[in-house]
Amino acid sequence: MKNASIGSYILRRLLQTVPVILGVVIVNFLLLQLAPGDLATVIAGEAGGATPEYIAELRARFGQDQPLYVQLLNYMGNLLTFDLGYSFRQSAPVLDLLLDRLGPTLLLMGATLVVSLSLGIVLGLLAALWVKTWKDHLISVTAVLLYATPLFWVGLMLVLIFAVKLDWFPTSGMEDVVAFHEGWDRVWDIAHHMVLPTVTLSVFYLALYARLMRASMLEQRGLDYVTTAKAKGLTDAQITRRHVFRNALLPVVTMAGVQTGSLLGGSVVVEAVFAWPGLGQLAYQSLFARDYNLLLGIFFLSAILVVVVNLLVDILYVILDPRIRLG
Amino acid sequence: MKRFLTTAASVALATALSVGGALAQSQGGTLVQITQPEPPNLAPYVSTSGPIAQVTSKVFDGLLEYDFNLQPQPSLANSWEVSPDGLTITFNLRDDVVFHDGTPLTSEDVRFTVMDVLKQAHPRGIATFRNVTAVETPDPHTVIFRLDAPAPYIMMALASSESPILPKHVYGEGDIRAHPKANEPVGSGPFKFVEWRRGEIVRLDRNEDYWRDGQPFLDRIVVRFIADASTRTAVLEQGEAHVAGFGAVPYQDVKRLEALDTIEVTTRGYEMISPIVEMIFNTKEPPFDNAKVRQAVNYAIDRQFVIDNVWFGYGTPASGPISSNFEPSGLFGRGIDFSVPDRIDIANRLLDEAGFPRGADGVRFEITHDVTPYGEEWQRFGEITVQNLAEIGIKATIRYEDLPSWLARTYTDYGFQLTSNFLFNQADPVIGVHRGIHSDRILPGTVFVNGSRWSSPETDALMDAATVATDPAARSASYQALVPLVTEASPVAYVLELNYPTVLSTQFADVITGPLGIYGNYAFAHKR
Repeated sequence: MKNASIGSYILRRLLQTVPVILGVVIVNFLLLQLAPGDLATVIAGEAGGATPEYIAELRARFGQDQPLYVQLLNYMGNLLTFDLGYSFRQSAPVLDLLLDRLGPTLLLMGATLVVSLSLGIVLGLLAALWVKTWKDHLISVTAVLLYATPLFWVGLMLVLIFAVKLDWFPTSGMEDVVAFHEGWDRVWDIAHHMVLPTVTLSVFYLALYARLMRASMLEQRGLDYVTTAKAKGLTDAQITRRHVFRNALLPVVTMAGVQTGSLLGGSVVVEAVFAWPGLGQLAYQSLFARDYNLLLGIFFLSAILVVVVNLLVDILYVILDPRIRLG
Repeated sequence: MKRFLTTAASVALATALSVGGALAQSQGGTLVQITQPEPPNLAPYVSTSGPIAQVTSKVFDGLLEYDFNLQPQPSLANSWEVSPDGLTITFNLRDDVVFHDGTPLTSEDVRFTVMDVLKQAHPRGIATFRNVTAVETPDPHTVIFRLDAPAPYIMMALASSESPILPKHVYGEGDIRAHPKANEPVGSGPFKFVEWRRGEIVRLDRNEDYWRDGQPFLDRIVVRFIADASTRTAVLEQGEAHVAGFGAVPYQDVKRLEALDTIEVTTRGYEMISPIVEMIFNTKEPPFDNAKVRQAVNYAIDRQFVIDNVWFGYGTPASGPISSNFEPSGLFGRGIDFSVPDRIDIANRLLDEAGFPRGADGVRFEITHDVTPYGEEWQRFGEITVQNLAEIGIKATIRYEDLPSWLARTYTDYGFQLTSNFLFNQADPVIGVHRGIHSDRILPGTVFVNGSRWSSPETDALMDAATVATDPAARSASYQALVPLVTEASPVAYVLELNYPTVLSTQFADVITGPLGIYGNYAFAHKR
């Protein structure tokens, strides 16, 4: 019975996402038209010049000689069959380009989510338990510092210290491109390469979650149900573990869901610094090349990612707090 | 007897190699090259985006290679002959060349490449091969170009980076502009394409069947793409990569890397590229419709200061539209010297004469200065320009846009007054210089052509003469006459010849072996 209700809930939520994603695509399509210059000029620009016939021919091939609404309708029509179009600049179908980059992006995002959430929660918890002691102050001040430090600077400093000076980690990339490891060696190699980018991207979110968790814990501890639990004769440790902790997690989980979008955004910088072959770099390149097919594909995929993560967060709510109903 | 044969064979091999320009080298090693930015595709026959040929020049061969004096050298073509009237060019092809899929190269592949691909779809090839009316293939190893007018610059445009020879049986099928092999190139060069992990690397492995026996020496080339400049420097410093050029390493970092024992820096290998930093005036609108004003700006720019402080010494003051790299071939010309000691006085006098007196605040007029969106150096160059112009009473404000916006402003809308610009002379002035100043290259919507919209019948005639002249002395005379006229009219301020530094690991030798540098094929590169 409960399974069926979760199933229909997920289905309903998925249907609701369709207009959201359509909106994302249409708004982005129109916004991109406002940028001056187009792909044909960029391609000709990269070529160091070209004949007018060549540029006109490029525009015709890209469909840019058509009125705007025809271009939009064509794009939407193709989207229905999950045809994301062709990137003329990269000479490859958009879907292939996206799928190539999705793996590294999910890897970095997933690792960052795990590291920042778990460490953030633990640090926030400890700070709340040690509230108003020097340990709490140390954690809180560090969190503020990390929160305020620009990502690219953290990345470059980590490279300078741990790659260049200490030589503990490789400077950049996803794996050793001279050795081309296979099997478990390759897994180990990728994990080794992942450490610095994951740490860099994690510090900001870690700080955010730690501060949120601390505040949330302190707030929950002052609520009536804690007094009730005390009256029942539960110990402080039991109350914290069984009641306060679970309730305090809710805002942190919500924030983690909301932050997925910005996690994708932050990864643009980290991917650039560490030469990580993810979606962020692809988005950056395609924007400056006015490669709209590719860019719209990235927006489309990112929108789906954010929607899916938020759906997962909502399902997680039900598990954390049975009072929340699927509705 | 057996020993004798082995010795004879090794002597023969050594001789063959030394004829090729190198002694017997140890086999092996992986060379890691940094290319910035990542190429959009690996189809150099339809796209001339700079980074592409840094990768594909190792995969494809050209008909010719070139030495440091810009003289043609044999490659796929063993020998060649240009008829006295310049209307027929005959190439004799090697008979031992096979493409990476095992199919032998024939004259038909060359005909297909030139007539069906480069002349139709290559952004520069359309112009370069305009006068080629037919390519004849009397036998599998002879190719004859038939021209309707002489085009001496064709002989300079036959390297792999400019005109790669494609296998017809691969690229002849389907639409060449959206070809399935666009990102998996198949050529006859010293390295075979293996894979391209987007955003990460291209891997090229040794071609066992390369026509230069025993070469290449390297087992593998890996080309890495790293978006962040500081990371590129760190990677080179750590020895995780071994070669990077074309400004991939920030100039201030080049100086620091050069001091390391593991790294050397060379500025050779750009002789057929010849980048020029310049500034274009909008000659159709005041105040820059007046040649005196344009000359004044030309005098005001402190070229040596820009070279020393923006490009960290990697430059030479330009003396006109043609790079001094053409001095050996006689095509170089010298214009007005704008770097004279009393240049500021001259500039002030010119502006007074042009009718722009200084106001009460010392300002003659105000302009907007657009900056080429190619990175930090260009912003700093713009800032110095603003200071230089202030000295002669011109108040300039900087505008910095992204590349597509700037291209549209400069070459489509002409909505600029003074903009910095970056043009390559390429292998011949006809290819790289005429486009900036000839009247037939005033083409709204076409980028990197005549954006100043200035021209004169006299200069047009000189360039037209140089285009068809088969006699090198006649071409030389045309350019000697052209350059002073152009600098006098100053539609463009030619600021400096940029000498790109290439950063190299000392672990490897013979990486840069010709005037195309990183656009070379690395067939001779080897581990020390």
